[in-house]
Amino acid sequence: MQIATYAWLIALIPLMGAILLGLLGKKVNGKSAAAIGSASVLASFVLALLIFFSINSSTQKSFDIHLFNWIHSGSLSVPFNFLLDPLSSIMLLVITGVGFLIHVYSYGYMKDDEGIQRFFAYLNLFIFFMLLLVLGDNYAVMFTGWEGVGLCSYLLIGFWFKNTNYNNAAKKAFIMNRIGDLGFILGVFLIYNTFGSISYDKVFAAAAGFSSGSSIMVAITLLLFVGAMGKSAQIPLYTWLPDAMAGPTPVSALIHAATMVTAGVYMIARSNVLYVLAPFTLSVITLIGVCTALFAATIALTQNDIKKVLAYSTVSQLGFMFAALGAGAFASGVFHLVTHAFFKALLFLAAGSVIHAMSGEQDIRRMGGLRKLLPITYPVFLIGTIAISGIPPFAGFFSKDEILAHVYACSPILYVLLMVASVLTSFYMFRLLFLTFFGNYRGTKEHMHHMHESPSVMTIPLMVLALLSVLGGFIGLPEAWGANHWLNGFLAPVFEQSSGRVNALELSHTTELTLMAFALAGAFIGLAIAYSKYIAKNQVPAEDNNQPEGLYQLSYNKYYVDELYDKVIVKPLHKISESAIAFLEKNVISRSVDSFGRITLNGSRLSRNLQTGYIGFYIFFMVMAILLILLFNRI
Amino acid sequence: MNALLILSALGIFALLTDILGLKKILFPASIVALIGAMVASGLEWGHHTSYFNGMMCTDNTAILYTELLLFAGLMWFLICGSSIREHQTEHYAILSFALAGAVVMVTFSNLVMLFLGIEILSISMYIMAGSQKDKYSSNEAALKYFLMGSFSTGFLLFGIALIYGCTGSFFTSGIAAAIQQPMTLPHGMLLAGVLLILTSLVFKIAGFPFHFWAPDVYQGAPDTITAFMASVVKIAATAAFFRLFSMAFGSMVQEWSFTLCLIAIGSMMIGNMGAVLQDNLKRMLAFSSVAHAGYMLIAIITLNKFSEAALLFYITAYTLATLASFAIIIRVGQENGNGDVSSLAGLGKRNPLAAATMTIAMLSLAGIPPLSGFFAKYFLFNAALQENYTWLVLAAVAGTLISVYYYFRVIHSMLILKGSEEKISNSPIQIIVMLVLSALLILLGIMPDLLLSRIGS
Repeated sequence: MQIATYAWLIALIPLMGAILLGLLGKKVNGKSAAAIGSASVLASFVLALLIFFSINSSTQKSFDIHLFNWIHSGSLSVPFNFLLDPLSSIMLLVITGVGFLIHVYSYGYMKDDEGIQRFFAYLNLFIFFMLLLVLGDNYAVMFTGWEGVGLCSYLLIGFWFKNTNYNNAAKKAFIMNRIGDLGFILGVFLIYNTFGSISYDKVFAAAAGFSSGSSIMVAITLLLFVGAMGKSAQIPLYTWLPDAMAGPTPVSALIHAATMVTAGVYMIARSNVLYVLAPFTLSVITLIGVCTALFAATIALTQNDIKKVLAYSTVSQLGFMFAALGAGAFASGVFHLVTHAFFKALLFLAAGSVIHAMSGEQDIRRMGGLRKLLPITYPVFLIGTIAISGIPPFAGFFSKDEILAHVYACSPILYVLLMVASVLTSFYMFRLLFLTFFGNYRGTKEHMHHMHESPSVMTIPLMVLALLSVLGGFIGLPEAWGANHWLNGFLAPVFEQSSGRVNALELSHTTELTLMAFALAGAFIGLAIAYSKYIAKNQVPAEDNNQPEGLYQLSYNKYYVDELYDKVIVKPLHKISESAIAFLEKNVISRSVDSFGRITLNGSRLSRNLQTGYIGFYIFFMVMAILLILLFNRI
Repeated sequence: MNALLILSALGIFALLTDILGLKKILFPASIVALIGAMVASGLEWGHHTSYFNGMMCTDNTAILYTELLLFAGLMWFLICGSSIREHQTEHYAILSFALAGAVVMVTFSNLVMLFLGIEILSISMYIMAGSQKDKYSSNEAALKYFLMGSFSTGFLLFGIALIYGCTGSFFTSGIAAAIQQPMTLPHGMLLAGVLLILTSLVFKIAGFPFHFWAPDVYQGAPDTITAFMASVVKIAATAAFFRLFSMAFGSMVQEWSFTLCLIAIGSMMIGNMGAVLQDNLKRMLAFSSVAHAGYMLIAIITLNKFSEAALLFYITAYTLATLASFAIIIRVGQENGNGDVSSLAGLGKRNPLAAATMTIAMLSLAGIPPLSGFFAKYFLFNAALQENYTWLVLAAVAGTLISVYYYFRVIHSMLILKGSEEKISNSPIQIIVMLVLSALLILLGIMPDLLLSRIGS
């Protein structure tokens, strides 16, 4: 495959873009910066397409491309290699494709920001690290990308760094990710310790020799999953993602919905060979996935910030993906990752378009009736809502349905919980849609005066994403319909080794179709409740100082998890830190460090005082030294 | 050997230029002669020839040190050549002879040649230290250097005599062969000879407790001569030390290594600590050179297959950084002359290239990666650890930590302190010298194999 030899360019071009933009800085205007940034991602996208088509048509499904020897020390040898296979090529398409659309959109969104050059430099750098993450053929390269995207996420959440709250959100994201990253790197160490290598092919080949459920496998997979919890915002490490909405909206779409947060899903799908050997870990993943899906959905019910609703929705949808992975349905997890990338990027960008139109207002209680005023944003938002709610034939239906079926096969109880989450999803998304676009306008006159549909540089990406949200599901038509599930077939080589170890979906087609009917009914129930509340009865969520009591209050305040973390972890840590400063720092560290300085100074004075300048003294000293040396050696 | 002939010819030619009226071509002629000597010396690579009835031997190590000496000499002429106005011919002649002496010191295979080399080099240096005749400090430096130098020469001769008395040979190979049959030798006499030679060589490389001359002489002598001492003299003395002790006394390393360990630790401690409180740049560098002598002694103590390469690498890195820093000291000294660290204040604005070069040199001397000084220390410590000298390495690391303070003080002064705003210009030659030296300091840090691969072959 000729094109594989150019795979390094896919990653290099965005890096060059980032370096160029970083070095040029304000020497280029916003338009050129946007052009450089978008063109570099477009070039990568074209290459990714070429690679995708040649993998699709080739009989060989996996290409390992050696770039250079990276780390060589003792028995550890880490090459800088790229792995091209169905999984990475799908990820490449999502990252560069959705990434390119968001780059284009960003120009319209950030046009008047004075830091636009910096913005595009960060975005390109992010794309580079994300590509590294999915392209590496070993855990070290993946970890490099993993840390890099974390850095870019931090930089972009705190992009408007003059606002202290935004900086705090950036720090929170970074620190919570560090907790996950620690788990991930420990997992990688354990892999090296167990298998003597961290290259996927060697590790997976060696893993075949381990029995299912061995404790070392459980340890490795759990540690890696801790990394995924941090990056992909699962319970208990999810609280950073809603706060990450402090960043510009395109960032939320690209990093905190479509790509980076799905890195955990990719990592587990990539390590499927290890995970199927640890049934315990798989159960944990399903459980956490389902809990996160439900928990985040209940929070989303009462939020009034348009981006916060979408953020909790993202956490919830990531929960769906993990539920699939835990059920051993790796392909379904990846399928939902792809469709979610389409419709969630669409929803975020459409929300950005609304915020743009409302001059920065994000509270849906101040919106309403925007349907006619935003003739393009409204239909695309509607498409996104239908897609995420799981109404056929839009993308979300197929992928979500697959996940529900797999979880049902695993455990009917978890299925019910996930079904509830699915109904809630439909409700809160239509609630968001109705409150934003229907009813009467509730905002200020000032905002009304500036109201305008976004420029075409923003709406065209929206339309492309809307198209993908409509059609994206067709890459995985259900086999119960007698259709051919293309994505499963395409990804099959990646999951070949593990396919024998997980139970294949053994539901009869009738059961599957029944489950589908349930899912559809659930989506419509959610829609109906939202309709009756917000259109028929024309309700508007209460103001902050007038909130209903009870469960509503609990959900509105996000179950007080942030406050809990603050009390249980942050405050005690502060206390320890303060006492460490008071005692350790002042008495122990300062004193010992100072005493080293004092010893040096005294030695220095001694050395200087010996240097009397009197030659007689010098020679006397020399003679004494020689005598001492001779005596000492017993001569 | 070719280098020796060319250098001697250059010295004689320099003496004649006054009479022949060729003073104008003296500088270019010296540069050409030095480059020619480097080429001619390189031609001898791999031949391993003996001269003067086997009293000198141009083995590969000797050629590498000769090349290093000639390179240092070339850089010295480029840095200082134009600033020597008075007694130009004498300067050129004497320094050419000094270089010839240094070449003898790294090529000898007979104690007599070693003695001759040391004396040719030392006597030239006594004269040059006092070359600013109208300055009190220069005269003082010359007298101190001469008195203490001749004192240590006495010990050297005494030691050689004892060795000859025991072994009946002046040849390094003969001495080594005689030591192999220890029962026939009066042991105390032999060890006394070795120790006396050791002390006098420690004096030449300015190691504790025979370092007292260094700070006074470095500070008192003219800047240009100090630069020569800190580079050429240091290379020659250290190389001769290693050559003699590995070739002749290697088999009795157990008996002298502990003494040398104490000397090395003392040098590192006294040198590094002494430098901390110095305000005068040259005096600070003198103490720093005492410390570096201590580091280099580690290679002589270790004496394994790694240490020869490690020592060559260390001396090269040290010489490059020292020459670079003296290039800047001399340039700044021409503008305002007190020679204190504070005289560098604001250099970052006044002459960015010089400040950058000085920064690289100081970072390399302190052993900060990726500069060559880091790998120099790394290879040296690695060689010592192979022989289980853990505590010696610990002492060296402690010394290095201290050294960071005074090297960074220079950088701090150049880049952060505010000084005069007046620009200092560079001549084309100075620009070339600074660029070449900084490039080499970085290059050898990134690709140490460029040099290391030579020594194994």
